[in-house]
Amino acid sequence: MVGEEIVTSGSTSCQGCGHAILARLAFKAFGRKTIFTLVPGCIWITLSRNIPLFSTGTVFEGGGALVSGITNGLAARGIEDMNVVAFYGDGGTADIGLQGLSGAAERNENVFWICADNQAYMNTGGQRSGATPKYAQTTTTPASYIRRGKRTKRKNLPFIVAAHDVAYVGTASIAYPSDLVGKIEYAKGLKGFKFLHVQSPCPTGWGFSPSDTIKVARLTVQSGIWPLFEITEGNDFRLTYKPRELKPVGEALGLQRRFRHLTDGESQEIQSRVNGQWKQLLEIDGKRLPY
Amino acid sequence: MGHKELMVGNKAVAYGAVLSRVQVTSAYPITPQTTIVEYLADFIASGRLDAKFIEVESEMSAQVSVQGASWAGARAFTATSGPGLLYMHHPMMGCRLPIVMAVVHRSNKSMQPDHTDLMAQRDTGWIHLYCENTQEVLDTMIMSYRIAENDRVYLPVALGLDGYILSYTAEPVEIPDQDLVDSFLPPFKGRSAPHPDMTIEEWRANMSRGAGGYGTQKAWIDHHENMMAAKEVIVEVDEEFGKVFGRSYGGLYEEYNCEGAEAVIVAMGTIASTARPTIDDLREEGKDVGLVKLKTFRPFPHDEFREMAKRYNAFGVIDRNISIGSGGVVFNELRSALYNVDDKPSVLGFHTGLSGEEVTPGMVRRIAEKTLEAARGPVEPLVEWV
Ligand SMILES: Cc1ncc(C[n+]2csc(CCOP(=O)(O)OP(=O)(O)O)c2C)c(N)n1
Ligand code: SF4
Ligand SMILES: [Mg+2]
Repeated sequence: MVGEEIVTSGSTSCQGCGHAILARLAFKAFGRKTIFTLVPGCIWITLSRNIPLFSTGTVFEGGGALVSGITNGLAARGIEDMNVVAFYGDGGTADIGLQGLSGAAERNENVFWICADNQAYMNTGGQRSGATPKYAQTTTTPASYIRRGKRTKRKNLPFIVAAHDVAYVGTASIAYPSDLVGKIEYAKGLKGFKFLHVQSPCPTGWGFSPSDTIKVARLTVQSGIWPLFEITEGNDFRLTYKPRELKPVGEALGLQRRFRHLTDGESQEIQSRVNGQWKQLLEIDGKRLPY
Repeated sequence: MGHKELMVGNKAVAYGAVLSRVQVTSAYPITPQTTIVEYLADFIASGRLDAKFIEVESEMSAQVSVQGASWAGARAFTATSGPGLLYMHHPMMGCRLPIVMAVVHRSNKSMQPDHTDLMAQRDTGWIHLYCENTQEVLDTMIMSYRIAENDRVYLPVALGLDGYILSYTAEPVEIPDQDLVDSFLPPFKGRSAPHPDMTIEEWRANMSRGAGGYGTQKAWIDHHENMMAAKEVIVEVDEEFGKVFGRSYGGLYEEYNCEGAEAVIVAMGTIASTARPTIDDLREEGKDVGLVKLKTFRPFPHDEFREMAKRYNAFGVIDRNISIGSGGVVFNELRSALYNVDDKPSVLGFHTGLSGEEVTPGMVRRIAEKTLEAARGPVEPLVEWV
């Protein structure tokens, strides 16, 4: 991978942490003229000290406003050539951070928001978030006789952001580094609000071996659970990875303890939803989404 | 030399932002602050103020975005009232960036003013300056940036003005010339401001002069020390303002008609204005009671009150607030400041004007007369609602 290695070794994140892999890839692509910002979460606690760039943090709910203030403050000083990066978890993006995200997106602020999505509040011990998928076990959505893990689907975050008509929206996976880095390199040159939703497998929270992080990430992409696409010019939708045939979801789910309780019926439900969604994505591939 | 204009308090706030050459502003509308946001938007739209206006979706974002702008090296301003201020509480807490915020007081139990909104931010680590009239609002806006950005301080300032009574009431205000303001208030140099040509090491060295120690008790000690250092700075800035512009406000507090007084009443904000003529009348009647207008609530002038305690035998503290379950916030602080002075004066408490209820000269007279009585002998009750 080209680009200067910015993230230093020796972070306190767990072995096999998806966030750590993402940070290495992402900041190679951003380079040194970058300010990154933090809100509470695993990135701040375990990784931020290993990213020697200009940085600051704020309250959990304040991520969108912080980057908005910074980019405007820089612009007021005549500085337009620095990347202002929000590097937040799914909680800081999709839940408590959603209002500020929406505000910043609607104003089309000149910032780059990376959501490192490990699908739960990992830093507080793995509670459910709005990004936790249906049936996944978390510490607040246990699976037992009556409850079967999380009861509802996860929020469709990239489409929520895309509905704001912003400069760039994309999804990415750490198992497809050139796709990920390519998206950052392309989008960082655009003026306006850029959003990249990156799946960040968490061995501790999802219950898989730390050596399987990339494998889990790859299987979720190959099975259509985590489709890779981008939306440019506000509504131009394009899949960036199109396997001829999807792998069954069971392979990816089977590696993760959070799905161990699934019945055949529940697995089947996930499979048919993924199939249905993939069909829809193929239909809109290369097309303009309605505003 | 400046010129005079008739304007409401909210416009004086906006003028203050213009004269201070604010670079980034961000605010969310709420009665009675709303017109500040509108004036600023107008000033920016017409080119009178060269600033970025972040049209945020909430007060929480207003607060965090001005912090972001200030961190990035821009002079930043916001304004809010009551509920909006309470919504900002979390990001305000512990903030150590030199932003200025106007708080147009609004009660939580009415839309009218009392000081419960800003008093609820007592422990956030902000400097709190209360204003009495529209001229003071404009002047305090300019002084606030000088205080906030001072290297010994480097802390945010909240300046309070009573909703409606000041925000929507027009008074003649002298607007100083921009040149003069520019000479008084140099451009902002942010400690944490990044620059593309700066190395991380240079940037860190710059910052290390400021907020550090996260995760340790030292972070609190430093913040408190900078706050206490602000006492001196506030007085210096006020004196210099007086020299340059011909108006000053005593810095931390002002003693009005206190010469030879036996007792003083202590008032904040517009109640001080109501009190002035009443005190004049009482003095003419030969009653030796004066007025202490408390302008700076944080840092609290403990030592200064202890000095005053040598001169006055009674203090009648007017609280346009209540800490429910305890009492008047200023009353409690003042009494505790005087705990270990010799020949302790009496300290009486008066709650009045909450939810914007009118505070009349008659009420002030009653407060002053009771305080004077306490200077001569015990009175009951110690605390009352007027
Ligand atoms: C206002 C507020 N509420 C709750 C918390 C506690 N908290 C800290 S991190 C966190 C979860 C972070 O989740 P996410 O954003 O998904 O990041 P992750 O740790 O999973 O990477 C929570 C709930 C907080 N710091 N502030
Ligand atoms: S809990 Fe998960 S996200 Fe947090 S450091 Fe560990 S592996 Fe990374
Ligand atoms: Mg998370």
